[in-house]
Amino acid sequence: MTRTPHEAESVRRPVPSAIPSSADSSRSVPPARRAGRGRPHRWSTKLAPWALMSPAMLVLMLMTIAPAIYLVWSSLRNDTLLGSGGRFVGLQNYQDALTNPNVLRSLLITGGFVLAAVTVEMLLGLLLAVPLATQSRSNNLAAALMLLPFAVAPAVSAMMFKELLNPNYGWIDHYMGVLGLPAHVEWLSNTNTAWIALIGLDVWQWTPFVALILMAGIQSLPKEPLEAAAIDGASTWQTFRHVTLPMLAPFLAIALTLRTIQAFKTFDAFKILTGGGPGASTEIINLGIYRVALQSFRIGAASALAMVLLILLSLLVPILLRAVGRNADPEQA
Amino acid sequence: MLHNIRTARRARAVVSGLGAGSLLLAGVVACTPSTGGSDAGGSKPKTLHMLYATAEANAAAVQSLLPAFKQKFGIDLQVDTQPYDALQQKVFSEFASGSSYYDIVIVDTPWAPALVAQLEPLSKYIDDTKLNDMAKVDIGDFIPKVFYDTAVYDKSAPNKHFADSSPNPSTAAIAKAGFDVYGLPIQANAQVMAYRKDMFNDPKEKAGHQAATGQALDVPKTWDEFTKVAKYFTRPDKKLYGTTVMAGVGDWATDDFKSLLAAWGGNGHLVGDDLKLEFNTPQGVAALQYYSDLINKEKVVPPGSTSASWDEAASLFNSGATAMTMNYHALALDSGVKGEIGYATVPKGQAQGPHFGTWMLGINKNSVNKDWAYRAITWLTAADQQVTMTKLQLHPTRTSVYAQVTGSGEADPSVKNFYQVLGDSLAVGVGRARLTNYTEVSNAIAKAVNLAATGSKTPQAALDDAAIEVRRLLTEAGYKVPSS
Repeated sequence: MTRTPHEAESVRRPVPSAIPSSADSSRSVPPARRAGRGRPHRWSTKLAPWALMSPAMLVLMLMTIAPAIYLVWSSLRNDTLLGSGGRFVGLQNYQDALTNPNVLRSLLITGGFVLAAVTVEMLLGLLLAVPLATQSRSNNLAAALMLLPFAVAPAVSAMMFKELLNPNYGWIDHYMGVLGLPAHVEWLSNTNTAWIALIGLDVWQWTPFVALILMAGIQSLPKEPLEAAAIDGASTWQTFRHVTLPMLAPFLAIALTLRTIQAFKTFDAFKILTGGGPGASTEIINLGIYRVALQSFRIGAASALAMVLLILLSLLVPILLRAVGRNADPEQA
Repeated sequence: MLHNIRTARRARAVVSGLGAGSLLLAGVVACTPSTGGSDAGGSKPKTLHMLYATAEANAAAVQSLLPAFKQKFGIDLQVDTQPYDALQQKVFSEFASGSSYYDIVIVDTPWAPALVAQLEPLSKYIDDTKLNDMAKVDIGDFIPKVFYDTAVYDKSAPNKHFADSSPNPSTAAIAKAGFDVYGLPIQANAQVMAYRKDMFNDPKEKAGHQAATGQALDVPKTWDEFTKVAKYFTRPDKKLYGTTVMAGVGDWATDDFKSLLAAWGGNGHLVGDDLKLEFNTPQGVAALQYYSDLINKEKVVPPGSTSASWDEAASLFNSGATAMTMNYHALALDSGVKGEIGYATVPKGQAQGPHFGTWMLGINKNSVNKDWAYRAITWLTAADQQVTMTKLQLHPTRTSVYAQVTGSGEADPSVKNFYQVLGDSLAVGVGRARLTNYTEVSNAIAKAVNLAATGSKTPQAALDDAAIEVRRLLTEAGYKVPSS
């Protein structure tokens, strides 16, 4: 879309600020006072942010960085939780992981699940957010109801889904029969239907999360560009596509990044609904890590598997932010 | 400026990625082992602490004894219970941290090979008459197969089973073979067959079966008979099927398969003590073919059986959807289902070896109350206490207890029937391979069973693929697997 001169001007127009510019402030301070306070001021300017950040950094260090370093160290050893004979094995655990076709397949399956589930959630979340963003009593009620699915513990919702999907007495089978659809569908015994069930559960649970982020985003957007588009005669679709959507990009980026990270961490639904079956068709990497880490307690091997996933995630998140958040920076708009 | 923003954003993203990964892997970065405590010379503590399971090992039955324990010992027994997965993690982390908090720890057989070094060897306690003043330990009374499979280990080679041919367990014979006792069995679960007694006794069904097959309707004793009876009862239009199977991916599928493997003359342990793979054999293929045929050819199981666990199998039988089932515990028909349950051992093939798995009470080697912990587990597993606990459906581990609860003193014929069958099944049952990563091995085999059950692969192909995977898993865990 080509910006109208009016729009372009409004975007470039300097924002009035209550904070005086540095030139103004330098003029307002007497020279003697500036000379006397200059050095301590620079010192405190340098240290103060660090001092303020240090509690958070300490927590971050203890809760994430230190375990991550320990994880790297563990991945280079063949320790078991109770074994005393652990030793440094270099990259052996990584070699075992990356030459194991089952691990590679699990990573692909995990990636496929994340791609499918998050794509559907983003689309549905956007579709829900646009109409619900208008402030009204019914929309507020709908937003409150939307909170319910992701307020349910994932393990509980997975157990409920398993009962609902039971081909012998589940509600889904019953109502499919009532509607004349095929009955006794063995949802979890067939690869395709098992995936529909797993992605369906994830979409049911997490679409509201995406929708709420995007609703908040839409509600916070400035009205002027929308009004300008309306004056220029843009249709509803043109306004949404060329005005609302670009301005919503930072919120889309946040929702996409958070959901992607969360989706990679999915575990309960797969453990409860399919256990990785039929065969190994829904075997995500977290199921394997769980078995190795928390059932066989092979800490070295599990750490290497976890590191592989961690590296993939660490590479993926910046790419996502860059791809989706390209227009997220107001300076680039 | 823009570059700085991007760099900072990238740094934040990497940190958040690390954070997310670290949270995901919180369980992996666990603690390190440390040395244990020492025995405090047998001074009487005020409280003993025991870490126990929930329904898996019938916590309610054990907790019902606590007042009597207090009266007998004059000390409290504090029982902390955890469900299965959480319990396993708790047990391992307690030992990994060298904690002395729990004096007594319940151990499931798949965990034992990794835990043996953390448990106090009990032979010297068993042979010390001064420590057997609260109850008779009488290890010769334990069902031999159950006792050897559950509690007797060679600490230097925990993958080996004690030869269970000896009729009466004794510490002398165990020590002579280089083994020791690492716990006392308290709850023994075995795969048994349950059937709708009311349907099998129904004259109309008897006549119908006679007309359909030319044979009398009896509880099947062989797998051929099992198929015929299951086919007869299968009436999908009435939502009735012959039997359940537990063919979903999980330990249950492996359990179904190992019972069949033993019946077909194979080694029900799946992996031998010499680490030779013994499930991808002609017997294994034939057993899995039979299992697959029940589902795909004979179609005698309800929909969803290839994603079912023991929970779904029990629910289906309890709701009246099947005439027979195989499971590990007593079942109860739903209130809306009028009928009666009978029990029998799983059918025979060339041999018989229903799967069993047993829980034992072990003593934490770091405990400072080992003598009293020993007295406690001796009392808790003694015959008198086991008989009391059968009122709450404990699955006993002693021969004399089965004799008592199936004798003339027991009034309820269904209870008598269940315990008779459970005792008979334990006497011929087959436990698990002793591997520190048994869960991984079991999962690989369960996937093969599931693939054959869904018809996605032939039994031969599924088991061959599983053999490659199991070999890799064993090698990664440090085992030296023979080439063939």
